[in-house]
Amino acid sequence: MPERAQILPGTLDLLILKAVSLGPLYGYGILLRIEQISQGALLIEQGALYPALFRLVRQGLLKAHWDTSENNRRTKFYELTSAGRKRLRQEEEGWNRLVAAIASALKAQPEEI
Amino acid sequence: MRVFASLRSVVSALFHRSLVENEIEEELRAHIQDRANDLERSGVPRAEAERRARLEFGGYEKYKEEIREAQGTHFLETLIQDLRFGLRMLRKSPGFTAVAILTLALGIGANAAIFTMMNGLMLHTLPVRDPRQLVEILHHYPDDPEPGFNGFSWDAYQIMRDGNHVLSDLVIGSLNVYVVGGHALESQTVFGGNVGGTFFESLGVRPAIGRLIGPLDIKDSSAVAVVSWSFWKSRFNLNPSIVGEKIIASGTPVTIIGVTQRGFYGLSNQAQQDIWLPFSLGDRSSPGFSVGLLGRLKPGVSIQQARADLATLFQTANDRPDANPFMRRMELRIAPAGNGVSTPVSQMLSTPLTALMATVALLLLLACANLAVLLLARGASRQHEMAVRVCLGAARARLLRQTLTESLLLSLIGSALGIFLAYFAADGLIRLFASGRFIMGLPVRFDVLKHPDTRVLLFTGTIALLTGLLCGAAPAMSASNTIPASALQPGSKIGETKRQRLFGKGLVASQVALSLVLVSLAGLFVGYLSQLRNHLGFERNNLLLVTLDFAQSGYNASQFSHLSQELVMRLNAIPGVSSATFSSVSPMEGPGASSFAFAEDHPEKTTPVSINYIAPDYFETYGTPFLAGRDFSAPDQAGSRVAIVNEAAARECFGNGNPIGRHITLSHITLTKGEKTYEVVGVVGDAKYNDLKQPAPPTIYADLLQEGFIGSQLAIRTRIDPGGVVSAVRQAEADVLKAVPIVRMMGMNEQIDSTIVPQRLIATLSAGFGVLGALLAAIGLYALLAYTVAGRTHEIGVRMALGAAGTDVIRIVLRDAVWMVCAGLAIGAPLAFWGKRVAASLIPNLPVAGPFPIVLAAAIMIAVGLIAVYLPARRAMRVDPLVALRYE
Repeated sequence: MPERAQILPGTLDLLILKAVSLGPLYGYGILLRIEQISQGALLIEQGALYPALFRLVRQGLLKAHWDTSENNRRTKFYELTSAGRKRLRQEEEGWNRLVAAIASALKAQPEEI
Repeated sequence: MRVFASLRSVVSALFHRSLVENEIEEELRAHIQDRANDLERSGVPRAEAERRARLEFGGYEKYKEEIREAQGTHFLETLIQDLRFGLRMLRKSPGFTAVAILTLALGIGANAAIFTMMNGLMLHTLPVRDPRQLVEILHHYPDDPEPGFNGFSWDAYQIMRDGNHVLSDLVIGSLNVYVVGGHALESQTVFGGNVGGTFFESLGVRPAIGRLIGPLDIKDSSAVAVVSWSFWKSRFNLNPSIVGEKIIASGTPVTIIGVTQRGFYGLSNQAQQDIWLPFSLGDRSSPGFSVGLLGRLKPGVSIQQARADLATLFQTANDRPDANPFMRRMELRIAPAGNGVSTPVSQMLSTPLTALMATVALLLLLACANLAVLLLARGASRQHEMAVRVCLGAARARLLRQTLTESLLLSLIGSALGIFLAYFAADGLIRLFASGRFIMGLPVRFDVLKHPDTRVLLFTGTIALLTGLLCGAAPAMSASNTIPASALQPGSKIGETKRQRLFGKGLVASQVALSLVLVSLAGLFVGYLSQLRNHLGFERNNLLLVTLDFAQSGYNASQFSHLSQELVMRLNAIPGVSSATFSSVSPMEGPGASSFAFAEDHPEKTTPVSINYIAPDYFETYGTPFLAGRDFSAPDQAGSRVAIVNEAAARECFGNGNPIGRHITLSHITLTKGEKTYEVVGVVGDAKYNDLKQPAPPTIYADLLQEGFIGSQLAIRTRIDPGGVVSAVRQAEADVLKAVPIVRMMGMNEQIDSTIVPQRLIATLSAGFGVLGALLAAIGLYALLAYTVAGRTHEIGVRMALGAAGTDVIRIVLRDAVWMVCAGLAIGAPLAFWGKRVAASLIPNLPVAGPFPIVLAAAIMIAVGLIAVYLPARRAMRVDPLVALRYE
């Protein structure tokens, strides 16, 4: 098992949006998808997923509907709305800028100053 | 889009609460289940897998709570929380709660009561076509603010109908009272109308059955009638055979030709009209003929334009040589009739209600200020609590909301109680109205004046909300501004700023000011009422009035002369009766005969005079003094015409000369033509005739028996309470005048009061409001001082320990109180003067000269202030320095 990192506050929403952007998912599926796409490197307290999901639905970034899953159980599926897609793009860009900035900051050598 | 989504989630959260709750549960359980299944597949035993799944999920209830918050149900839940907490706080201090709720209930209740009546009286539109276009044509005395009279001669009607440019329609329709009976019906007094042929058509009223009165009925003078749907239902049980039924309306046999559509009740909201008869065209040339007129304004025409146009035509009609000279003094008034024509009820009530509405608004303002002071004082004592809550992380907005919720809760409970009180208050007021002259005994629909409808509830709800916000705002701000550090310091003087203290004092001062206005107005109105009830020119106590109905008796004048004298003798023999007399009218009963008088040598100077036909002993019975000459006596009956005049008539007709033995001529006696000349044999003091508000008019008293008239008014002067002779009087009357029923028996006081219902209403209510206002101011002052003293207990203790005497301590308390009262009086006095001017503009003849009521009110407010100060001052004086200092 790879070493796991606690996720940064505020990044859970981004991860959820990303996971759902790859196709409609139900709650546990989102968790699995995040584990899968992060190669199991991120640690999420499972319950924390749900308040985040409800908040995103309320913000109109996700929409939820009840449907039957492949094993014939009534399941709540989430998918991205167009507002959600837009938000995801913004967050991705913001994240990348942040990462680039932090990375370059960390790479700084004494002689560069 | 997002707003929409969040709104939808709130709404669905609110309405599908349990459904949503179940879905959350289902979703979370499914998650744990899936996880457990996965773990099991990876080889963990089932029980262990489920345990680990739950563990990995984390705090199940905590996340559920977070989900709920994320969903936005927060508001409702906090509201319920706030309400529950608010109720608990109110229960905790029952004294404060009771005073606060009662204050608001009285303030809001008074507003609801008056508004209910205004609503019933002035705000309902009539159920007819385009009611807003309807106007009533009235004539009134110059400068008389009363609406006036809707009665015009045939000529005036025709001239106005044919010559005007402002009305699309001018129809005849008046409000009358009929006694309706017939072979199948029990006799009943109902409202009805004399209408023209286009009345129903113009109003857009259709028949429910049969047909309505049309132009042909007028032309042919048909003996027909139309009745209302409710009459049809209550008296004929909706039986269609009503058409063709013969009934008797006030002595006239008529045939019912139709029923008006359901919901039509005539031209007034208070007087359900049940029967309409065609007006009698045949009488149009008789001098007493008059028709009520209802106009429909052309689109875009204003009331002023209509008045200007019609007034010219009215003038033209009055300039005709055969016009009634009385009408020449009258002015035309056009009044909107969309909310109903003026009726005795509306005439009596609209001005007082408008004045009262303003007064109760003032009262509510006062109640608001009072509650704000109470809440501020209580807020100060709760600063510690607020400080603790701020320290524990309560958001200031949350505290603000909590305090506002509490004040809104108070105002809501207060207004619920207020509506309840309003119903009874309106009921009591209606009883007062029902005792009014011209209304007494009539089937007026007073219930419309006391039943709160949606508009009333909406109004009350709105003012309750405003009240709650208004009186809660200041305390809420101060609560949310709590500074924990200072408030939590042990023994700290309650952490309020100077500004807050000043604000509290300002509120109390404004209460004193408002109360001053209310109390001085009350003094004004009560003084006016007592002025009206006295200086009458006759003695009103111990005077019993009996109204007789000779109509069906068949007595002629000589029989009446004989029987009336016999009855008077019988009455004089009753123990307790000192004298008795007959007359054609009694004072304040209603208008009697009138005419124009001139002295023998001055035919060019005519004076309008009131006439009363009286039997001997009239002045002795009424207690009006003889100034000169003599009373009528038996020999006059066969002699030449004699009259007694009052001082005003003597002065008008004869100047300063002695009128005894001179002659006076009366012309146009009550719309008749021809003249009569009398020799003046006596002069009596002036006495009010028909209107207490006006000075006694010039009055001519002629001899009832000499004229050969029948007098239906019997007056009995008693030495004991009139109630004690009533049965003996009934007996004597029944013995002597067998065929003459007694219509009414009442004391003179009652008859007087029946003519001044609006004045009594205003005086009674304003006195009540004055007392209430003073009480509220006292409570406010008391509350503020009490809490100041409580806050300064420590300081007072130190002062006393250092040797201050009780009087010094009292001075501290008193200084504040005196400042507040004085500031209040200083602000209130100009307001009170202004209030007096407004009152005078609404109520003519109000004795507004002199500062007396305001001075009196100021004295009362000072006394009230002293009483309010007493308890806090005593408490301050009794502060035990040892106890006060031990707190530290």
